[in-house]
Amino acid sequence: MGSSTEEKVVAVILVGGPTKGTRFRPLSLNIPKPLFPIAGQPMVHHPISACKRIPNLAQVYLVGFYEEREFALYVSAISNELKVPVRYLREDKPHGSAGGLYHFRNLIMEDNPSHIFLLNCDVCCSFPLPEMLEAHRKYGGIGTLLVIKVSPESASQFGELVADPVTNELLHYTEKPETFVSDRINCGVYVFTPEIFTAIRDVSSQRNDTATLRRVSSYEALQPATRIPADFVRLDQDILSPLAGKKQLYTYETMDFWEQIKSPGMSLRCSELYLSQFRLTSPHMLASGDGTKSAIVIGDVYIHPSAKVHPTAKIGPNVSISANARVGPGVRLISCIILDDVEIMENAVVTNAIIGWKSSIGRWSRVQAFFTLLITQAEGVYNSKLGVTILGDSVAVEDEVVVTSSIVLPNKTLNVSVQDEIIL
Amino acid sequence: MKALILVGGFGTRLRPLTLSLPKPLVDFANKPMILHQIEALKAVGVDEVVLTVNYQAEVMLNFLKDVEAKLEIKITCSRETEPMGTAGPLALARDKLVDGSGEPFFVLNSDVISEYPFKEMIEFHKAHGGEASIMVTKVDEPSKYGVVVMEETTGKVEKFVEKPKFYVGNKINAGIYLLNPSVVDKIELRPTSIKKETFPKIAAAQGLYAMVLPGFWMDIGQPRDYITGLRLYLDSLRKKCPAKLTTGPDIVGNVLVDETAKIGEGCLIGPDVAIGPGCVVESGVRLSRCTVMRGARIKKHACISSSIIGWHSTVGQWARIENMTILGEDVHVRDEIYSNGGVVLPHKEIKSNILMPGIVM
Repeated sequence: MGSSTEEKVVAVILVGGPTKGTRFRPLSLNIPKPLFPIAGQPMVHHPISACKRIPNLAQVYLVGFYEEREFALYVSAISNELKVPVRYLREDKPHGSAGGLYHFRNLIMEDNPSHIFLLNCDVCCSFPLPEMLEAHRKYGGIGTLLVIKVSPESASQFGELVADPVTNELLHYTEKPETFVSDRINCGVYVFTPEIFTAIRDVSSQRNDTATLRRVSSYEALQPATRIPADFVRLDQDILSPLAGKKQLYTYETMDFWEQIKSPGMSLRCSELYLSQFRLTSPHMLASGDGTKSAIVIGDVYIHPSAKVHPTAKIGPNVSISANARVGPGVRLISCIILDDVEIMENAVVTNAIIGWKSSIGRWSRVQAFFTLLITQAEGVYNSKLGVTILGDSVAVEDEVVVTSSIVLPNKTLNVSVQDEIIL
Repeated sequence: MKALILVGGFGTRLRPLTLSLPKPLVDFANKPMILHQIEALKAVGVDEVVLTVNYQAEVMLNFLKDVEAKLEIKITCSRETEPMGTAGPLALARDKLVDGSGEPFFVLNSDVISEYPFKEMIEFHKAHGGEASIMVTKVDEPSKYGVVVMEETTGKVEKFVEKPKFYVGNKINAGIYLLNPSVVDKIELRPTSIKKETFPKIAAAQGLYAMVLPGFWMDIGQPRDYITGLRLYLDSLRKKCPAKLTTGPDIVGNVLVDETAKIGEGCLIGPDVAIGPGCVVESGVRLSRCTVMRGARIKKHACISSSIIGWHSTVGQWARIENMTILGEDVHVRDEIYSNGGVVLPHKEIKSNILMPGIVM
């Protein structure tokens, strides 16, 4: 049975809400985490443009509990740019990763899609969505998960799973286990058939029944009520775990990169991954220069067209420069994200840092960070602290000041050097 | 007149610079340390200088041959075969210092930098008629040193108190003495301390007088004091001989640049910077409170503060060197490196950042 041209696909991207982004502070104090620029584009842009490669994509929904106005501008701009309808749906309250999908099922099913993709916005990977869809069709189940192999030490941070090596069926799934189960983990990217809604509904109604049952016994009525609301359904524990081993769920393994963008430091690492991906998929996005007419560019660098970079500067590798930033003569930028309207003055050096909107970096100053271990969650060589220096918005670093491995909250002026500090 | 300069030891506190040259030959304000003293002595009519050395005497002598010729002053070395303290060398050099003329002779500690007011000291010595004169300098924290307790009007020294627990005075021994030849007779040929043995004897005999040193004073035997000393020296130079300092649009404060050094465009140099012969400072460089020694090259956009860059070293593009970083001879710091107080031994290449003060072997 081949795919009919009538078969439509809908993609749902979970973007979370303000209470979920606390590890992304201080950057998330100014902007919802999903809109934070990674490799020059808002974080959510990367899964959305990956969706564009899905054949017969009808609609993309962003589901979260941020205020609608935070996404209104972005959503209309990206719909125009990618020529794909993108819409933000606000949950009135958290419903869990599966509950959110279920909550908007009527809207999602409006186009009568044959398949529904579910993606997490803060996943950084190559999103092999067309390949996943094809595999899913062959398996014939109700859902297929994207999975990746990681180091055994780091696997316990994620959902570990066991898959049949021949049929790729999902046999077992457990979330953040204390003991080692498997080195294959759940990437947070799924494709489902509409039967998934039935499965979610079944979980909800089971909960309701249990709740009703509880009210019957007076003894149990005395117990503290810690029941989860019926409509809060978690994909991992409530759907994947119980359905594993029942020939309903399958896995598709990716051999490419995969990271979660949980902290600002990871955003720098993921920026690097996406920039290197641009070199393969859309090299015109990357900057180049040899110091004659434009600045020397080393490695993968993104420079927004409205940014101004002096020809005597040297930029890269792994640098993103956002709109209206100004980079002065003799500046050196290595592994950093420069946000909108930042001004960097002569001979300054920025390395391993994120410079917040409208900040200014003085002449001969140095904003830097060191980490003794490279942090890559998936590769398992990790340290709980990522030493990236972060300047919030409108921070002023005066001439010749050195800022090392520190976090500076918005609107501060630094006139003395600091190291390993959090400046409130 | 004659003079004795106590050179003595290994200069360990000024390592790594003293791994390449004996301490008296380490440059200060673009001139070997000892040359500052010899020139000042020559200016008051000293015709013979004796250096007491027990380390690298050959290196010293070679250098000194040139000085002898240029300044027309006789320089000899008195070799200590074993460390003789501070007074022992005097006894050892007796035959050189005592020439029968009866004139007093100077004794200087080689680490001391000051304006060397030797003329005033000679007058002071003649006026009081005592056997010995000593320069003292006022300090903020006398209990770190040996305090000289003296009569304020005459300057007659009553006693010495080493690291006093209670305040006894704020003048300490500046390491500059003018002694009558008769002093030498009082010293035995064994390890002796001028402060602890010789002078207390003379003081008891009412023969020792102290003069407060006018102008600045610094013991530049260690890097932190070396850098402070440069500031004081350049400050004094501005008052006495401002033409020697460099001026220009890229210069701020007191800066001394050797005429054979080259400075690029868009730099900002100063305050309190000395750049030695043959140095190259490329464009966009920021230097403050630092010394760049002979033959060193500072590449574009680098920024150096409160540090010493040793002979023939290079500092890479966009490097940041600060907080008492001392680069020994022939040290090469790669582009973009950050050094926070690194102390780097000679002939090394620095390829990774130095985050906290420490020694790189």
